[in-house]
Amino acid sequence: MSLQSDKGIQLSPTYRLQWEEAQNMFVLLYPEGLVELNQSSAEILQLCKDDNTLSDIVSTLEQKFSSTGLEPDIINFLNTALDNGWITQ
Amino acid sequence: MAGSLNKPSPPRWLLAELTYACPLQCPYCSNPIDYASINSELSTDDWKRVLKQSRDMGAVQLGFSGGEPLVRKDLSELISYSHDLGYYTNLITSGYNMDEAKILELKEAGLDHIQVSLQASSKELSDFIAGTESFEHKKNVAKLIKKHGYPMVLCVVLHRENIHQMKDILEMAIELGADFVELANTQYYGWAHHNRDQLMPTQQQLNNAETIANQYQASQKGNMKIYYVVPDYYEGRPKACMNGLGTTFLTIAPDGLALPCHSARQLPNFDCPNVNDFSIQDIWNESKAFNYFRGDDWMKEPCRSCKDKDKDFGGCHCQAFLLTGDAHNTDPVCSLSPLHHTVSDAITQAEQSSDQAFLFRNSKNSKLLNN
Repeated sequence: MSLQSDKGIQLSPTYRLQWEEAQNMFVLLYPEGLVELNQSSAEILQLCKDDNTLSDIVSTLEQKFSSTGLEPDIINFLNTALDNGWITQ
Repeated sequence: MAGSLNKPSPPRWLLAELTYACPLQCPYCSNPIDYASINSELSTDDWKRVLKQSRDMGAVQLGFSGGEPLVRKDLSELISYSHDLGYYTNLITSGYNMDEAKILELKEAGLDHIQVSLQASSKELSDFIAGTESFEHKKNVAKLIKKHGYPMVLCVVLHRENIHQMKDILEMAIELGADFVELANTQYYGWAHHNRDQLMPTQQQLNNAETIANQYQASQKGNMKIYYVVPDYYEGRPKACMNGLGTTFLTIAPDGLALPCHSARQLPNFDCPNVNDFSIQDIWNESKAFNYFRGDDWMKEPCRSCKDKDKDFGGCHCQAFLLTGDAHNTDPVCSLSPLHHTVSDAITQAEQSSDQAFLFRNSKNSKLLNN
């Protein structure tokens, strides 16, 4: 199973993305599990909604951080997320 | 204080053991052997205080367990309160006495997930291990949990008497629609330690079970996540118990005792503090029990000079205490421990069948053992 660039990406229904004030970071919550996210992972996961595709996510983040060439890193992370079941297509 | 001078990391996980009361009698229960003499239980307001203070410090994963948490009349109220505080709420239950109305009520209260346990894949064995007729009801409850849209973890504790059912257990998990399956080899604390000779599987049994678990992990990828918890006795390396004591996990026992791991009550000179006397902040940051095993100042050899000391933190201190009499010793499951024979002897022993009967976990036996 690997990422399909033309399909929308969503957070899996069993997972919840939440900002944690005490830790000053986003965390991913699921049954008896917790992943503490670094900033870039959190930025990407926050966009996994509204039928956003890979290119939507790349362009939103390149615009937000005024940079280019983010696609390879984003693909890498999304493949990991897909493999872990955090996101679905 | 022992350990480093740095401020400790905040608690992330809170395990709320609401009660030791339980309708089941599983002989591997991790509750203390003497639970029948621990009669006091925190009130609803006490629990709310604990939940609020822990959340303020950073706890976000919350498990309601026991005993059987459904026994508590205020369970829905506590779940609702926790949900409003922003916890991810997990209910860890036998499913006994649960019905559709309760499942809906808890959903309404904001419960995020239910972990239900089954004792085996066949009625006869499951009811025998549970000490109570419960198998068909539990299976029905599991179906209702899925019907109402909860994510579900199916937990099966593995041991000598049921590990041969691995394939059937996994087929049952698929049939019930589990999202996650936890195949947890018995860990030998509390009642399980008492019943160890009757519970320990043979090496051959374990090898067979692991092969089947691996096959299903591959074939179920993307559908059902299977966690197979390898028993540390057979591993030769200790587990990084609780991610290091006092770094991540906070357990509150039914009587309000705050524990850095759920079996730490038994450790001598540990002086676990009670939430009736101290705030969670004081307990986490200042208490002797929570600082005791932080850092590595406490370590003896062979841990002290070991390259893996930051990986496994010396293993499980409760196990070191149970098997060697000193919680500061290296966890004897480690092949580097000079007392590793306490574990290898038990494995050799397990190749012989035990003619001892199980001692089931109930109040009568608890009182008997405590005398």
